[in-house]
Amino acid sequence: MKEIIRTEKLFVGYGENIVLRELDFIVNKGEITVILGKSGCGKSTILKTIIGLIPPISGEIYFYEKRMDYLSENSVNDLYKRIGVLFQNNALLNSLNLYDNVSIPIKMHYPELPKEVEKEMVFSMLSQVGLLQSFNKFPSQLSGGMRKRAALARSMILDPDIIFCDEPTTGLDPITADGLDELMLNLKNVFGITLIVVTHELRSIEKISDKVIVLKNETVHFSGKYDKLFTFNDSFINKFFLKE
Amino acid sequence: MNMGKKELLLPEKFTIENIPSLFNELKEVKEDVNIEIDFKNVEQFDSSAIAFLNHLKGNNKNVSFKNVTSEFNGIFKIFSPSENIEQGLQIITTKKRFEHIANKFLKLRSNFKKYILLLSDEIYYTIQYIFDRKGVYPGEIFNQIYHIGCSSTSILCLISFLVGITISITTLDQLNNFGADIYIADIVGFGMVRELIPIMTGIILAGKIGASITAEISSMKVLEEIDALKTMGLVPEKFLMVPRLIAITVAVPLLVAIADVVGIFGGVIVAKLFSGIQASAFLKEMFITVDLKDFFIGMGKTMIFGWVVVITAGYKGFSVEKGAVEVGIATTKSVVLSISLIIVLDCLFALLLY
Repeated sequence: MKEIIRTEKLFVGYGENIVLRELDFIVNKGEITVILGKSGCGKSTILKTIIGLIPPISGEIYFYEKRMDYLSENSVNDLYKRIGVLFQNNALLNSLNLYDNVSIPIKMHYPELPKEVEKEMVFSMLSQVGLLQSFNKFPSQLSGGMRKRAALARSMILDPDIIFCDEPTTGLDPITADGLDELMLNLKNVFGITLIVVTHELRSIEKISDKVIVLKNETVHFSGKYDKLFTFNDSFINKFFLKE
Repeated sequence: MNMGKKELLLPEKFTIENIPSLFNELKEVKEDVNIEIDFKNVEQFDSSAIAFLNHLKGNNKNVSFKNVTSEFNGIFKIFSPSENIEQGLQIITTKKRFEHIANKFLKLRSNFKKYILLLSDEIYYTIQYIFDRKGVYPGEIFNQIYHIGCSSTSILCLISFLVGITISITTLDQLNNFGADIYIADIVGFGMVRELIPIMTGIILAGKIGASITAEISSMKVLEEIDALKTMGLVPEKFLMVPRLIAITVAVPLLVAIADVVGIFGGVIVAKLFSGIQASAFLKEMFITVDLKDFFIGMGKTMIFGWVVVITAGYKGFSVEKGAVEVGIATTKSVVLSISLIIVLDCLFALLLY
């Protein structure tokens, strides 16, 4: 299976404050990798570090076998076209309606694309997430679940290779959360999109994950297939999954 | 009757980078021309390709596909909107002009009602607090007096001093032509105490204190802190507004007194430097025209302007519903509305008191 992201001896944190150390893991194409761990263990920090929002303290991050910090500004911008990010608080722009929010990446990266095609793309994407009828509404007029789906539509609009999701189903009811999980599975199965998901939700982990990375004591405690998680018979993992 | 046929051989990469050129190629093709799209070479495609084909099918009924793979067909079905876009678009109804004006008027009436209700509530809560010290965070009134009073003193002094100088210089030149230099004292004293200091203080309070009150309350509203106060059994309109109203009532007389002195001092300096009028002569002349009543009228006007600023700021802060953008808009509106109300009230006072 083709490798998309690899980290080697990665130290992440803020300034001199190390949150996670010596991280070595691989994310393969077309897989859903779930990162989990206790609150405050650095799950979101590692996601932001991989995306390039927080500089790593030391170590290496490889995207498609190329070291992130060796890429030129243009290459990094090209890379950003190939990734989508679903932020924890959705990060929709409140001053724009749904259509405009979802069309931002097209307008910014492909300004020459005809408006008619842009419209088809945005409506098609909104239809995928079940928000077509709300295209002219503002984020403040939407429910939490609708905002999540709108943010996911924005992250998917340029057919990214990878989507990073920071706690996508947290705070949603089980039915809405399940719908979002289905959507993520569809993205993987139909379009072969790779997803890296940070979550606490046990139902989501069980449903969507191909691979699990468990963080504990500032480092990777377990990294492997979801099926192998319980053969490990670890007290922390058993407690996490309420099996103890 | 068909006019002709157009064949389009799609490139290997049928992706977003190639869509603009394909779009331009087909732009000139007439509606009744048969378009045959050949997928023979297509190895890679994305959602923009499907959007492009959907758009073509929507505009031209005579589009046909050739050499389409089953993989593409499957994804084409998933990506084609299941709901009717046109139906969705009909949600936007164009409001008629008169309906729009009527809605504006109704909104204005409803806003005015809310403003008056908040004003009466605040008067009630303040009087209630004077007799029963409950519902306000201990020490908050002193914090607000410090915040409103101290933080505005320096800027008010600077502006009063500069306005005092400017008024004196511009007026002195005219008075000099008539040999009536000494009357500069009357003009500066009366103008500053009754008119300029109250209006300047009001505007400074609107820009500095009003804006900060609106930003604070609206942020609290967005972050659900106001709801949290309600769930704790507190009345947010009392908890947040009463300390500010009491603080402005205490701080304004002090601010006005300081600003009056500094503004007149500016006039005294100009009179001495440009016309050789002694400070004692200036003050003696000034007190012939300006008496204690004028000083209290100026102070009373400023006090009312201060209350208007706090009530307007609170009204705009509490009216925010959701979203960070609304905080900025409410803050701007609060300052503009406060200044407008101050000027309208000043005009009314001028009509009533002269």
